[in-house]
Amino acid sequence: MADTLGHSPGQSRPVSNIGNVSAAIGILVLAIAPQLFELIWSIGALTVRSTARAPLQVLAGHGAALLYGAPVQMFASIAAPGKAAIASDTLLAMIYSYPLFAVAALTLLVKLKAPQDYFGGIVLMALALFALWASSDLQGMRGFSFGAGTAPRMFGVLMLGLGAGIAVVGLLTDGPALATYHWRGPLFVSLSILSFAITIRPLGLVLSAFATFMISALGTHETRWKETIIVGIALTAFCSFLFPYGLGLPMQLWPRFLIQ
Amino acid sequence: MGDLFSNLALGFHVVFQFSPWSPSWLGGVTIPIPINILLCLVGALVGTLVGVLPGIGTIATVAMLLPITFGLPPVGALIMLAGIYYGAQYGGSTTSILVNIPGEATSVVTTLDGFQMAKQGRAGPALAIAAIGSFFAGCVATVLIAVLGAPLTKLALAFGPAEYFSLMVLGLIFAVVLAKGSVLKAIAMIVLGLLLSMVGSDIETGASRMAFNIPELADGLGFATVAMGVFGFAEIIRNLDAGAEMDRDLVQQKITGLMPTKKDLIDSAPAIVRGTILGSILGILPGGGAVIASFAAYTFEKKIAKDPSRFGRGAIEGVASPESANNAAAQTSFIPLLTLGIPPNAVMALMVGAMTIHGIVPGPQVMQKQPELVWGMIASMWVGNLMLIIINLPLVGIWVRLLRVPYRLMFPSIVIFCAIGIYSINNAPVDVILAGGFGLVGYWLIKHDFEPAPLLLGMVLGPLMEENLRRALLISRGDWSVFVTRPLSAVLMATAAFLLVLALLPSLRKKRDEVFVESEN
Repeated sequence: MADTLGHSPGQSRPVSNIGNVSAAIGILVLAIAPQLFELIWSIGALTVRSTARAPLQVLAGHGAALLYGAPVQMFASIAAPGKAAIASDTLLAMIYSYPLFAVAALTLLVKLKAPQDYFGGIVLMALALFALWASSDLQGMRGFSFGAGTAPRMFGVLMLGLGAGIAVVGLLTDGPALATYHWRGPLFVSLSILSFAITIRPLGLVLSAFATFMISALGTHETRWKETIIVGIALTAFCSFLFPYGLGLPMQLWPRFLIQ
Repeated sequence: MGDLFSNLALGFHVVFQFSPWSPSWLGGVTIPIPINILLCLVGALVGTLVGVLPGIGTIATVAMLLPITFGLPPVGALIMLAGIYYGAQYGGSTTSILVNIPGEATSVVTTLDGFQMAKQGRAGPALAIAAIGSFFAGCVATVLIAVLGAPLTKLALAFGPAEYFSLMVLGLIFAVVLAKGSVLKAIAMIVLGLLLSMVGSDIETGASRMAFNIPELADGLGFATVAMGVFGFAEIIRNLDAGAEMDRDLVQQKITGLMPTKKDLIDSAPAIVRGTILGSILGILPGGGAVIASFAAYTFEKKIAKDPSRFGRGAIEGVASPESANNAAAQTSFIPLLTLGIPPNAVMALMVGAMTIHGIVPGPQVMQKQPELVWGMIASMWVGNLMLIIINLPLVGIWVRLLRVPYRLMFPSIVIFCAIGIYSINNAPVDVILAGGFGLVGYWLIKHDFEPAPLLLGMVLGPLMEENLRRALLISRGDWSVFVTRPLSAVLMATAAFLLVLALLPSLRKKRDEVFVESEN
């Protein structure tokens, strides 16, 4: 979606066809995002012992489901509805990926009048489809009483409709273009949060908090390092006193290997 | 009436309670300290601070301080959190008037006339009128909560599951109607919140829903985690977009003569009363709250004024009315929470979180089973307002100096506080990562013009709604018409439908947008 970012908000001229192509590619990536995520996760899981599937297994499972499992299953269920249980990978392809493929194809054909609304709606639709898939293994209605899966499905369908509605509004009425995303703030703030989560247990509050402060300070180019370091030290000292002593929360202050 | 006084007496008794304190470093010496008064003071001061500093919202602060209340007794915890909410309404006005920067969304309109007054050298009277208006509104709202509390609780006891469900639908629709921007988008946010609330184990069957066998998700998404991500982290990232160097170094007017003239008082008195009434009503309504109240009060004041052109040029009514309204609304929004157990806005939703942490299930039974909790909190509001008016005017200078702290130093500090705060809730690093993830989600939502507040409301009401829906349908043996055949429920549903249609009508939508546009300029 990189080249649709150039438009300043408020401009409402129709986006060119090239813009639509990259938008469609963006939606395609969204359509296989869960599969990609599991693949990356499984590669990461190789380094630690875990129960996750091996990367090749993931690739084969999802690849097969996306390429022929889902279509075959669809024909099968049309021919003989309500048959045996469907594999989870195939179901994901059927419920989540294929509808989004269709949306991506549709994007090539239409004029986006309000890209901000259009993409917002589509991502909501994707979330709704994903929720429908995630709750597909749950029990539905039992007689007149709700099963565990009834409410998630109900609201999933509702959100699918709302997302579609928002996307349609984005097609029919003029509206703002996509807002510009910046990378510096989100990247370093996320990194600092991540580093806090990873280091708080092994390294303790003092080092972890100071590192978090310094990393998040990278989030803007206006940081002046001298004052940042001084404030960082002062704030770390304040937190190390406030949370464990002032509030009596159980928190380890120093690295584990120093204590033992 | 006698009930009312005995209840309030109980409340004040709780507020002025002394509890023994014997820290180990004093060597066994016990000092009685008025713990609740102190907590009320801390809450009010922190609230004012939050209100003064732009870039930290009330919601993020309450979320940040939730874990801190663990060690406190429940009454004290709620008194402090309540103090933050109404304290922020005071603080927001200070910077609006003095430097034309609203510290809170609730005092955006105060900048219009407040800053003009300051420019004319009348900053003192503006601040004083804002404080007096807020105090008056706070007193009225406190009495209103006390008066309405008991009867509404009785009404709530007549509610069955069907009525509860309808009431929550009505509340959510109200939130949609009063939200800014597209109705469709606001509803979508509520539904997203409802879906998020369903992650974790099912209340009735215990089946794991949408948790992907991740043990950390088995208990559901923490509400403070989501709130902190969507409001705390997302807000920081968004602010960084604009560049950390915000335009803060505006000229500080020398404040001379705090006292308003007799004419000021006469001019502003009716405006304060009108603002208080409007604010109280909008606060009680689900989905309302302080922001909308201040906007509405300003618009109303301008409409009925003999000479509307005075507004925007330092009309004292333009300060008095919205400031009274936001404070009244901040307090009356406790009414639905305390009597029905239904949070009308996002801050109240966090109060539910605080109550659940302490094992209190909000609802009509709280008022009967734990009267000292409810009445203590109500009484503390009045005490808190009194403290605010006394301490705040002398402290104005300090607050203004705090504004000089640059954002480039402030935002890493907020990141750390948020991170430690979330971590300390469950001692779980995964919670911190989740909050960071929701921060990015929140950033995306802002970029696509979705409002995060309805999402939070949906997430809090989700479990309650689902439970009552299931129960209602179980009782009616699967008959969906129960929501329209029971009279009370039918009235609520009809109101909700009517409101929704009204919000979708093009003419009204235009008017609603106008209100928001006007207040933004």
